[in-house]
Amino acid sequence: MYNFLQLVRNENMKIYRRIGTWIMFGIILLIVVGVSILSKAFDEGGGSMWTVMNNIESFTYLLITIFTVVVSAESVAGEFSSGTIKLLLIRPWSRSKILLSKYIALLIFAILLSLLMLLSSFVLNLILFGYGDAKTASDALGVANGSGPFSYMMQVYVLDYLGLIMIVTLSFMLSTLFRSGGLAIGLSMFIYFFGLIASGLLSMLDYKWVDYLLFLHLNLKEYLSSKEIAHGMTMGFSLAVLAVYYIVFVGITWLVFNKRDVAT
Amino acid sequence: MGYGTVSDEQPVVRLQQVTKVIGTRTIIDGLTLDIPRAEVLGFLGPNGSGKTTTIRMMVGLMRMTKGDVLIGGHSVRTEYEQAIRHVGAIVENPEMYKYLTGYQNLLHFSRMVPGITSQRIDEVVQLVGLKERIHDKVKTYSLGMRQRLGVAQAIMHKPSLLILDEPTNGLDPAGIRELRDYLRKLAKDEGIAVFVSSHLLSEMELMCDRVAIIQGGKLIDVRTVQSSAQLAETSGPVVFEVDRPDEAVELLAKHEAARVEEGALVRADRDTVALINAELVGAGIKVYGIRILNKSLEDQFLEMTGGGQLV
Repeated sequence: MYNFLQLVRNENMKIYRRIGTWIMFGIILLIVVGVSILSKAFDEGGGSMWTVMNNIESFTYLLITIFTVVVSAESVAGEFSSGTIKLLLIRPWSRSKILLSKYIALLIFAILLSLLMLLSSFVLNLILFGYGDAKTASDALGVANGSGPFSYMMQVYVLDYLGLIMIVTLSFMLSTLFRSGGLAIGLSMFIYFFGLIASGLLSMLDYKWVDYLLFLHLNLKEYLSSKEIAHGMTMGFSLAVLAVYYIVFVGITWLVFNKRDVAT
Repeated sequence: MGYGTVSDEQPVVRLQQVTKVIGTRTIIDGLTLDIPRAEVLGFLGPNGSGKTTTIRMMVGLMRMTKGDVLIGGHSVRTEYEQAIRHVGAIVENPEMYKYLTGYQNLLHFSRMVPGITSQRIDEVVQLVGLKERIHDKVKTYSLGMRQRLGVAQAIMHKPSLLILDEPTNGLDPAGIRELRDYLRKLAKDEGIAVFVSSHLLSEMELMCDRVAIIQGGKLIDVRTVQSSAQLAETSGPVVFEVDRPDEAVELLAKHEAARVEEGALVRADRDTVALINAELVGAGIKVYGIRILNKSLEDQFLEMTGGGQLV
């Protein structure tokens, strides 16, 4: 079989040859630079590179989620709405592999955005504030976590990336199901933000089924400062719930994409 | 790698009882058709007769309810990747990635089939006449240029079957003529089978060796297209446009000439036409034109499908 990587290269080309993609990278960089400089300018002695990095991560990751959802929603639906899906599928490749190449390109895009934010905020704040020599995340950030601050930040990024994968996979599924980028973006964003807002309220409900809702498990970094969150749920339980959702999303996506008649 | 790597004896494509049922409606009903090498086969039918659905099933975009399509002996159902390997196609409009350049589009599709070199890409770009504009974004292209880019991606991997759905849409007369000549050349020189759908009947007459006519999802006829040169080999109706028709009819009594509006109508073969012409000129009658009256494909088609539903 010839090179599957060529398919991923194609999908990358379709992502990075768009101006919109570079605007997304630009916005992330702009926010990191802006927030870092402002934090330094208005610093009253309490700030360190770790606090600024942590602040940037906690709200810019929302933006990364939105951007990735947009690219993911366009990935399949865009091929249908432009009609290019017909030329894409009539090649000596199975539909599954074509879909996989798209999915891999999306995960790479999400990693690149995250890496850009991680590296730029680390380097910039190292320059602005100097190396923060706090021994633990607890000293540096006031969170109940005994790891070193750098290792804590890495864990935060990895856990947020896991949550991101879930939303991207959901958006990818909706994109495949509805073949409409707008609908996929709207619906995934609704589910994501509704979850953020409502998860606090929902977790107060004393029903067992609440534990199995997707959005209660998307904010995995809560587990970094406590072993258990609401309802006595543990990290292991959350990961198991997410794994089940993940398998269902991926299963539906591949099944529908393989079976569907292309009649656009 | 050359065109037409499929063995010579068997037809490049075999449609076997291809059927598509959606809900309770039978869209395509037991279509059986072979396309041999080096043939341009037209696929003719009124709008909604199932042309595009058939093409979509041939290239695996839609599933068949019953039947199978064999391309180079490989089943589209069960050996899709081998079957589609030697197919180049445009399905409906040649939709390309508009935010990419023409070249990037070709690069994209070339990566999906092994063995396409950058020289080959340059070669097809030259062939379809897009050399000057290939590094411009597709969104700046005219419809005709997109059509040509579509042809480029379809022939890039030297297929043994070329499927073109309404390829003359949006082309100007010069473009149509160019495409027609090129398709005939591909079929004759490279031995590839070309399957072209259209509702432009006059186009089909000029382009195709045979025409398959579909109506209401059923194949109603497959016939050979005769060029006017071939028709003239046999005796057929010929009209002589002259200045004095009555005299001409009298003069041509032995050819059983009849008076028609424009002049004299006779049945004659090629040589006789020349003789009659000499006779008329010899008698001082001015000959303005000689026209062979063949029943055009359009007439035949309208007769068969009952007209009406035609665009």
